Amino acid sequence: MELRKFTRLSMLLALSVVLNIVENMIPLFNGTVPGVKLGIANIVILFVLDQYGFRDAFFLSLTRVLLVSILYSGLFSVSFFLSLGGAVLSIVAMGIFIKITKLSTIGISVIGSLFHSLGQIIMVCFMIGEANAFFYLPIIILFAIPTGILTGVLTSELIKYFN
Amino acid sequence: MNKQDIILCLSVFIIALLVLVFIRLPKKGNVAIVYYDNKEILKINLKIDNTYTVKGYNGDVTLEVSNGKIKVSDEISPKHLCSRQGYISNSYESIICLPNKIVVKIDDSEIDAVVMLWN
Repeated sequence: MELRKFTRLSMLLALSVVLNIVENMIPLFNGTVPGVKLGIANIVILFVLDQYGFRDAFFLSLTRVLLVSILYSGLFSVSFFLSLGGAVLSIVAMGIFIKITKLSTIGISVIGSLFHSLGQIIMVCFMIGEANAFFYLPIIILFAIPTGILTGVLTSELIKYFN
Repeated sequence: MNKQDIILCLSVFIIALLVLVFIRLPKKGNVAIVYYDNKEILKINLKIDNTYTVKGYNGDVTLEVSNGKIKVSDEISPKHLCSRQGYISNSYESIICLPNKIVVKIDDSEIDAVVMLWN
C-alpha cells in the first residue's frame, strides 16, 4: 500500500475511534430511546468509502469496532457484538447501494444508518433468542432517517472541501 | 440531496410509520412474563399493584406494577436503559435488559393466580 494512503487511513481510523467514543458520551433524548445515537463515526467510514472504495472502508470499519471495544466497552462484551453486527451490515449495504444506485452521499448515509439499526436488532435477537426485538425496529428506523441525513450532509460537505 | 434520496427517505419513513401503527395498535395486556436467560421465571398479574424482585445476571432486578402497567424500577447495569424506559402495558411491548439477561413481556392471556417458577 502506498505510504501516503496508509498514513491517511491510519489517521482516519484514529479519528473514527475518537468520534465513536465521543458519540457514546452524548445521550440523545436523555436515554429514553435506547440504541439511538448520532452516528458521527460513520462520517469517516462514508468518506473512506467515497475516496478509497469498499475494501478500505470495510476493514476500517471492522478495525474501528475492535479498537473501540478494546479501549472503551470491553472486548466481546454485549455492546461489542451489537456494534459489530451494525457495522458489518451497514458497510456491506452502503458498498452495495453505492454501486447499484444513483443515491448521493446523503442517501448512502441513510442506507448505512438504516442497516446499522437492522444489524443491531438482529444481534439483539441472536443474543437473547427473542424475535420480539424486531417490534422495536420501526421506532429506531424513524430516528435513523434524520441522523442518517445529518451524517450524510456533513460528509458531503467534507468531500466537497477535500476535492 | 437528489431525487432518489428524497424518495428513499420518504418511502422508508412512511413504511416504518405504517408498520409502527399496525403493530402497536394499543391492546392492553393483563399478564407480564419475566424471562431470565430465555427461561420463564415469573408470571405477574398486572391487575394487582405490587413490587417483585427477581435475580438478574448482575444482581436483583425490581419490578413495579401499578394501574395495570409494569416497569423495571431498580436494576444494576451500566446505562440503566431498562429502568429509564418506564412503564409498559400493551401487548407486543417488552423491556429488554441485556446486562441482566432479563426480558419482561406483556401477554394478554388470562391467568388465575400469580405463578412463580423460580429457576
